[in-house]
Amino acid sequence: MQPALVDKLRGIVGGAHVLTGVECSPHALDGRAPEAVAFPGSKEEVSALLALAAEEAIPVTPWGGGTKMAIGAPPSRLGLVLGLKRLTRVVEHEPADLTATVECGITLAALQSELGKRGQWMSLDPAHPERATLGGILASNASGPRRHLYGTARDVLIGITVVAADGAIVRGGGKVVKNVAGYDLPKLYVGSFGTLGVLVEATLKLRPRPEADRLAIARFDRIKEAGQAVRALMASDLIPSALELVDGETLRALELGEGCAVVIGVDGIREQVDWQCAEIGRLLGPLGLKDSVVLDGEARDAAWRGLGELGRAGVDDTAAVMKWGVLPTVLPEVMEAGSAAAQRSGLVARITAHAGVGVARAVLAGGSADTNAVVATLTDWRAMINGAAGHALLEWAPLAVKERVAVWDTPGPALRIMKGIKERLDPRGILNPGRFVGSI
Amino acid sequence: MEALLGPGSVLSDPEELLVYESDGLVLFRALADFVVFPTTAEQVSALVKLASREGIPFVARGAGTGLSGGCLPAEGGLVISLMRMNRVLEVDYENQIAIVEPGLVNLHLSWAVGPQGFYYAPDPSSQQACTIGGNIATNSGGPHTLKYGVTANHVLGLEVVLPDGELLWLGGKTRDAQGYDLVGVFVGSEGTFGIATKIAVRILKKPQAVRTILAVFDQIDQASESVSAIIARGLIPAAMEMIDAITIQAVNDAFSCGYPPDAAAALLIELDGLAAGIDEQVGRVVQACRDCGAREVRMARDEAERQLLWKGRKSAFGAMGRLTPAYMVMDGVIPRTKLPYVLRRVNEIVAAHGLRVANVFHAGDGNLHPLVLYDPRVPGEEGRVVTAGAEILKVCAEVGGSISGEHGIGLEKVDYMPFIFSEADLACMHRVKEAFNPTGLCNPGKIFPTRKACVEVGPAYRPHPIEEKGLAQRF
Repeated sequence: MQPALVDKLRGIVGGAHVLTGVECSPHALDGRAPEAVAFPGSKEEVSALLALAAEEAIPVTPWGGGTKMAIGAPPSRLGLVLGLKRLTRVVEHEPADLTATVECGITLAALQSELGKRGQWMSLDPAHPERATLGGILASNASGPRRHLYGTARDVLIGITVVAADGAIVRGGGKVVKNVAGYDLPKLYVGSFGTLGVLVEATLKLRPRPEADRLAIARFDRIKEAGQAVRALMASDLIPSALELVDGETLRALELGEGCAVVIGVDGIREQVDWQCAEIGRLLGPLGLKDSVVLDGEARDAAWRGLGELGRAGVDDTAAVMKWGVLPTVLPEVMEAGSAAAQRSGLVARITAHAGVGVARAVLAGGSADTNAVVATLTDWRAMINGAAGHALLEWAPLAVKERVAVWDTPGPALRIMKGIKERLDPRGILNPGRFVGSI
Repeated sequence: MEALLGPGSVLSDPEELLVYESDGLVLFRALADFVVFPTTAEQVSALVKLASREGIPFVARGAGTGLSGGCLPAEGGLVISLMRMNRVLEVDYENQIAIVEPGLVNLHLSWAVGPQGFYYAPDPSSQQACTIGGNIATNSGGPHTLKYGVTANHVLGLEVVLPDGELLWLGGKTRDAQGYDLVGVFVGSEGTFGIATKIAVRILKKPQAVRTILAVFDQIDQASESVSAIIARGLIPAAMEMIDAITIQAVNDAFSCGYPPDAAAALLIELDGLAAGIDEQVGRVVQACRDCGAREVRMARDEAERQLLWKGRKSAFGAMGRLTPAYMVMDGVIPRTKLPYVLRRVNEIVAAHGLRVANVFHAGDGNLHPLVLYDPRVPGEEGRVVTAGAEILKVCAEVGGSISGEHGIGLEKVDYMPFIFSEADLACMHRVKEAFNPTGLCNPGKIFPTRKACVEVGPAYRPHPIEEKGLAQRF
């Protein structure tokens, strides 16, 4: 980046908050380092940075905790990375309204700890809470096991402040839990991966912290039996907050024993939780249950953490990570077939699923995974999932694999509307360009 | 159009068109040139292509129960009624998804899946008449949205006819579809993004247990404070509805609902979920209400009593006919902690205009429905109602709320959008609209102020042509 431009960046955010040259390498994507990184301290600074970027036609990539930055096609040019970790204020938290307005750079852990002081929480639980930021969670539509009962970002976000591509500060939604005035812009920004604007402030719907919260692990010999257990639970009166299907390789990697498992979260008032835990055993006993264990406190948290963080991008023996969305009832089948496909290529698959909503995470692993084998398996997986009317997203893979396997599925006819929105909200195409669905 | 739809599917007789000149907000009226009744998505697509080619504005209409003039043909043209597309197309109980047509009456979906132990959660008070397609347009709420969320939280996918006539799916049966959440923005777009022709929704298991509580108060502030006190105890009831003295009078007169006639306000609170622990939750709710000064707190003894209490609430708008020839219902939303202050302000504003107000609303989520009572035959009263309404919405905006919680902006509130949105906010919304509806022919004149709306605003009464001909008499 030209020194004059770097000076302008420094002029906006202060010299200490701009990185250049080799300092930028932690913010590299697919092997490409950005030209500069700036860390704005307010939405006004974000606005000034975007106005500058628009004027100079520099691509801008917003960056929270970096946990989801691998999602997207390799960038053809990585211009200015906008680090949002300084925007961490809780602007307003009114417990009696069950709402909070928060700056988007706050980490999930910090946010939950702040809300917890008043006995509340925000019901999203994606992995890596110490690193994941609120803005990143919203922009990538990240979710965790409790989406089973509490939904995803689209269900908790009621208001959003965004800095648009030209630097304008735009608000959508509001501060109240029910609101139909104007278009539901918050929904548009959820899962938009920084391509429509930079999320700077969000108003969220909160929940009271449950007084009891437990996790049950029910083990079965085969995924088919575990799948039947899931159906039985779905058809029962139980109201679990999480319902996960965990395959054998995952269970082994987590050192939770052999076989596969259904992991069930239950929370609420104590009497409800006690009843549900007892009912789980009663319901699943006749369905081939090997054994079950109920965890609470630290052990419960550790189990959830382990499940969420398994197969972290680029560490251990992970070769690729794919996210699948299918009908819940086809999960056992695609999990079994997915494992078999990996085995055929000499690889190992670790697959877990949010069983009630049909969203799975498939980690492909293998000591010295050969690129051809990884590409072949991912291609099989996508064909299998698309064939089941589902969608497959390559969440992480080395560049050599991404060059041969598309990150996103082939988009349907609605792409033209998506492109229309993108062109109107970002006419110069400076917001995280080229990485989203259909090269948006 | 008759060639496209077959005979008996196109209305053009001015007397027949009159039936479609209003929705539930009779203050606004606009006549269509044609009302058409397609039966398939392909017919809707063909009609929209025709309208688009001819440059004729068009708007979809369900049951016409809307309360903001959203389905009125503001610039004339076509009204596309979806009432003949009213089937439940598919129910997948294992995956808990139903696919329905837009003209299906909301309650009929719960009836269809009820025998298997399921229901459709969003329950607008008009659910006996309103359609799911209309619910999509306004992102309808209802009493039970406090716990279960609004329409948008229950819609997974939509088959839509875009404003240029193309038929395609947004989202589908699977979660987390790739790309922008077009389903999310389509829901609540008030018919300006196109016409939904198939709707994939979540259906929920009926809860194991339900408890309905009536708390009676001598002061309206005590009822407002109870709402916050219940939330502060870590409870999210399924519903928390407030009914004030005037409303109690109306519903008791109309339905003998058994609300205490001398109370200043009553709260109708419903808890549902697991049977285990539900009575403990009831105990906490009762205690919270007592701590806030409730005179009486009792639980519905059986399903019949529960239904009667709910009938009073859900039929309250209709019961107002006992008290007033007409009313205008507002739909402001406020943070629930501001309830006592805003209710006082509402009463002051309405009194200052020499009018009366009844309050019946979703207290749990702060969604107010002041019903300003008036007589359209009294010159000038209607104008004062509209002025009072605007002042009420301004108060809602000032305390950090919104000008609409579930009825939509429609024609009614286009001028109030700047109460809560800046020019930049509105410009952003308008750009999104252009991506879907570049010609503006799809439901013009709504949400944003526009160019050439030919809407009539004024006294609702005027003689029907058949009255003029002496064939009918109004009494």
